Amino acid sequence: MNDFITVFQNRQDMFWETIWEHLQISLLSLIIAIVIAVPLGLALTRYPKIAEPIIGISAVMQTIPSLAVLAFLIPFFGIGTLPAIIALTAYGLLPILRNSYTGIKEVDPALKEAATGMGMNSFKRLTKVELPIAMPVIMAGIRTSMVLIVGTTTLAALIGAGGLGELILLGLDRGADVNLILLGAIPAALLAIILDFILRGFERISRRAGFKAFLSMLLIAVLIVVSPFIFSNSRQADLVIGGKLGAEPAILINMYKLLIEQDTDLTVELEAGFGKTSLVFDALKEGSIDIFPEFTGTAIVTHLGDQANSNEANQVYEQAKKGMNEQYDMAYLEPMKFNNTYAVATTKQLAEQYSLKNISDLKQIEDNITAGFTLEFKDRYDGYVGMQDKYNLNINDVRTMDPGLRQDALTTGDVDIIDAYATDSYMIELDLVTLEDPKNLFPPYQGAPLMKNETLDKHPELETILNKLAGKITDEQMRKMNYQVDYEDKSPEEVAEQFLEEHDLIVTE
Amino acid sequence: MIEFKHIKKIYPDGTEAIKDISFRVEKGEIMTLIGPSGCGKTTTMKMVNRLIEPTSGEIYINDKAIDSYNIHELRWNIGYVLQQIALFPHLTIDENIAVVPEMKKWKRKAIKQRNRELLDMVGLDPATFQNKMPRELSGGQQQRIGVIRALAADPDIILMDEPFSALDPISREQLQKDIRSLQKEIKKTILFVTHDIDEAMALGDRVCLMKDGKVVQLDRPQDIILHPQSPFVKDFIGERKSPWQTAVDIIADPSQKHVLSQSSYNNCNYSKLQTYIVRDENNMYVGLLQSGILTDGIRLENDLPLIKAVEIIESSNQTIYPVVKANKLVGVISYRDIVAYLKSKAVVANGVVQS
Repeated sequence: MNDFITVFQNRQDMFWETIWEHLQISLLSLIIAIVIAVPLGLALTRYPKIAEPIIGISAVMQTIPSLAVLAFLIPFFGIGTLPAIIALTAYGLLPILRNSYTGIKEVDPALKEAATGMGMNSFKRLTKVELPIAMPVIMAGIRTSMVLIVGTTTLAALIGAGGLGELILLGLDRGADVNLILLGAIPAALLAIILDFILRGFERISRRAGFKAFLSMLLIAVLIVVSPFIFSNSRQADLVIGGKLGAEPAILINMYKLLIEQDTDLTVELEAGFGKTSLVFDALKEGSIDIFPEFTGTAIVTHLGDQANSNEANQVYEQAKKGMNEQYDMAYLEPMKFNNTYAVATTKQLAEQYSLKNISDLKQIEDNITAGFTLEFKDRYDGYVGMQDKYNLNINDVRTMDPGLRQDALTTGDVDIIDAYATDSYMIELDLVTLEDPKNLFPPYQGAPLMKNETLDKHPELETILNKLAGKITDEQMRKMNYQVDYEDKSPEEVAEQFLEEHDLIVTE
Repeated sequence: MIEFKHIKKIYPDGTEAIKDISFRVEKGEIMTLIGPSGCGKTTTMKMVNRLIEPTSGEIYINDKAIDSYNIHELRWNIGYVLQQIALFPHLTIDENIAVVPEMKKWKRKAIKQRNRELLDMVGLDPATFQNKMPRELSGGQQQRIGVIRALAADPDIILMDEPFSALDPISREQLQKDIRSLQKEIKKTILFVTHDIDEAMALGDRVCLMKDGKVVQLDRPQDIILHPQSPFVKDFIGERKSPWQTAVDIIADPSQKHVLSQSSYNNCNYSKLQTYIVRDENNMYVGLLQSGILTDGIRLENDLPLIKAVEIIESSNQTIYPVVKANKLVGVISYRDIVAYLKSKAVVANGVVQS
């Protein structure tokens, strides 16, 4: 509990900011969903023949995993709030649409006949009779949708839209830091409860005061939520640098920012915490971000869909650089020294028990162990697929889990081996052993700045500036910096600045 | 005045719901529509406010085809009472009654005034009821509101679709009584659908008996009972209760025996030894002429059940009685008529008189 309070105090600024973002994104999505779904639902009651197909379509949207919707939207809408709101709106449509339709549909036919027989036209009948009677059902749909949206908004952090998901993702990344996760999750739940309470009040008022009151309240809510968007332009900086989730990308992009801002007049904005490689890469292609640090191995395997021709770091980089230039018209500047390749890690105890030294030693115990791999690792050739192929391994039980959770699973004994990154800070903290890779399955993973050629053409000075880091930062240094952020709770900015100063890359007055 | 001219209704599936009917409902008249279920009585009624459109034929209100009226204005001027009562559950009693006047853009004050008047009319205290919600009222009270809601904007025509069939027998009887006394005041043209023959007979100035989408017989209640035009009609009205509950107008002798016109009376063209009922040229009751003296005499309302009538007759020494409906002479009744009627109703089975 004390820890929780400390965590809260340390991150108060972030906390209030993310809560506000969360509220804005969820409310705006909810309002758009209401504005679309309620009138649509009402209209459908007048055209029952097309009602079921349309409700079916919204049901399909509901079944697509929210993360997939987010990824799908990046090529069209980039990153940030807009695609998040579109995805969340699509998510919230079904309950409202279905309840609006059913609510009106189930109004006692005798009441409809009485209204018609008394000379009400279709609109009058809707507003005077059907809508007020259906209101509890419609509001139930809106409330369901609200809970759904507030919950799903935590995923918006994955595409740089912010919200309480940032805290949760950060917590997951920090080896399932329960306090941070709770700091994100509890307010999300409270937000849902408070909004539900407000909506209930809304329902009571609208039942008494009727349709016009409902509309005017909706309008007020729209104004409150939208005003910050109107007054703030989403992109003010000259350059936006993106980064994947985790301490390492966060430190690196801070270094980029510090270096660029020292040597030029360009303003730099950071978009850290992209959940998946494909999300950040899509954002680069789309133009929401201009630069992000990418690993050479990932560039070849994931973006180019190729295999590394060599396991020599330099050749891998050249291959990636050539490929990215040809296939995507992108410039790939020189890599830093550290090699954050995949490694298979296990506990010291298990390694000693079975005298495990390299990956092929796992063969003898493959029937008895459980592996905890990231989804990405399990699917890649330079991952478990290659392990099966090159080392002829067939592990009995392979579980996929979030990167932030596997080390915990390893220490609690739920899994016996995990995939790890060579520079991960928990290797120090948990005293893990990495198994050697004599067959060179894992290609080198060196970080280097990736950007479009047009960005470099526009700002040619970037090459010299960012290449200052080329060949710098060893595995050891990187691991230490990650440790400082993850376990000593220093900010990535502070750590980046300290490193650059120590190595005379920036000068502070 | 409502006139049906060669109305037919054929549904898309080929069902012929209404097969060419034509009739008129006179101004200020209650016409009850009755018949077995599926006979088309409700369909016929709902065509008046265009909830159902006829396939062919035309309905006229005050000699103007109904589809030449604006449909909403047409409906504002036709009160509608539903079997399901269908008060709007989210509106107060006041708001429910005010629906049509509001649409007709009445002034707020006028609506308020009218609501009080209407509630008083059906014996509900405005102060107690106007702000209640429909669910707080009993079934009978709710349908009273249903009736006055239909009357609110003072329409000339009221359609009633089995309005009392969902009520308990006591409320039903009370409401029938209310409608009868109300109609004396308001004199609306009422088309009343029912499946209860007693209700049809008691309420209707004329009864329209339908079967399979056709009008089988359209007549005054007593004529239907006295002169059924087909075995079906006889069967349909046959299931009546004890003859003691029959209304006196059915028993009364509609012939002009014992009836003296005002002019004959003025010309002293009568016998002093006899008793006469005197009527004017409009067939309105004038008085009782006994031994050459004209008195008010005792008259019987047309819907009075026989048993009640006999109680009155027993306590008087008048020999013949006028049966009147709103003071209009519909017949004359005497002990002789009553005995003849009871005898005709006595059922003799195996030589034993049954009741």
